[in-house]
Amino acid sequence: MNKYLLNGFYALFAVIVISAFAFKIFQPIKVLPRMQLAPAFNLTDQNDEHFTSEELRGKFVLYTFTYTNCPAPCYNLNTTMQEVQSRLSEVELGDVDVAFVTVSFDPDRDTAAVLKTYAEAIDADTTKWSFATTTNKSLLKTIIGAGFETYYEDNGDGEFSFTPSFVLVDGWGIVRAEYRYQTEVPDTDRILRHLGVLAEEVSNSTGTSKLAYEAAHLFLCYAP
Amino acid sequence: MKFKAAIVIGVVIAGLAAGVYFFRPHTFHGTVIQSPDPSYNFTLTSANGNVSLSDYRGKLVLVYFGYTFCPDICPATLANVGQALKKLGDDKASQIQTIMVSLDPERDTPEKLAEYVAHFHPSFIGITGSNEKLAEVTSLYGIFYERSQGSTEENYLIDHTATLLVIDREGYLKLVFPFGVTVDEIADDLKYMLRQ
Repeated sequence: MNKYLLNGFYALFAVIVISAFAFKIFQPIKVLPRMQLAPAFNLTDQNDEHFTSEELRGKFVLYTFTYTNCPAPCYNLNTTMQEVQSRLSEVELGDVDVAFVTVSFDPDRDTAAVLKTYAEAIDADTTKWSFATTTNKSLLKTIIGAGFETYYEDNGDGEFSFTPSFVLVDGWGIVRAEYRYQTEVPDTDRILRHLGVLAEEVSNSTGTSKLAYEAAHLFLCYAP
Repeated sequence: MKFKAAIVIGVVIAGLAAGVYFFRPHTFHGTVIQSPDPSYNFTLTSANGNVSLSDYRGKLVLVYFGYTFCPDICPATLANVGQALKKLGDDKASQIQTIMVSLDPERDTPEKLAEYVAHFHPSFIGITGSNEKLAEVTSLYGIFYERSQGSTEENYLIDHTATLLVIDREGYLKLVFPFGVTVDEIADDLKYMLRQ
């Protein structure tokens, strides 16, 4: 009997170890990493109204950073934002809304009125796409530079040097993905895929399925 | 023989269940952050001089943003943290530093803060700073705050994000507790983090 028991416990140990390896290798559940807390902010939008990070709680938010005088095509930032919006129906999002935010790092020229004109010129749907900035340049640098980790610098000749980027933030205010480099897969496709991964995690964020998703975080089963 | 086999199978199944329970990963009650970078280091003022987050490297640091006139959320959260530390015992509590950052420097002097936080646990520290510095620190920790609508100059409330943050021993933001986290949940996660 002792021999049977011993073999049983060996089998038990093997099952646990193999299950853990299988989870890691086959990654049946994919998640996006919880990279850091997104910065909190109180900006002014294209309607000259306060626009805060608090209003975006509960929504997935795609941020990008630019200035309205950026010579076209300006890294295709607007094109990507518009493509993601027009193809949102391809993603199963459940009840979660997606908001889009373009933050200008040129508050001297990008006043609320200018941002509004700019939004109209590119035919942006401002019910879900906001354009915002703040005249507090020091705080703006903190929010964009340190908070969203996006480099920008005023060249002094009317143009800015900056790293084109998109940042995806979840409904808890946590940065879940950053898109800063050209890859073989267009940003639009990756962003849409990641929105789907996030939505699936939200819909499984209670009960036993939550445990499986936490295991996916633990085993770093990240969606490409 | 069949009876013996049934016992063996039963014991193995019980062992399997116990094994899964024993080897299960810790399930955090807060949200785990997997940041590749250490959290933003800041320096603010306490009743005993300047305090930097990095002063407590090697300890778990709990950071809470609030203010002493806060009617309900702040005292409830700080009381829960204080009770969680008592539950963990002096040895473990000595490896944890709780810092309350006041969002109300006009009314919360460092001395007043020190007196306030001591009500919850003797080890707590209260710090604050200029509005400019607080705007920077809060933004980078995802804390939104503003005076409530309808407030007067002397008598006002502050709406603020009520999360409780846990920085690990190496200075990385590891855990975010939502408002409403219980004493047992705080103690459970801190106990696990202290073992790591």
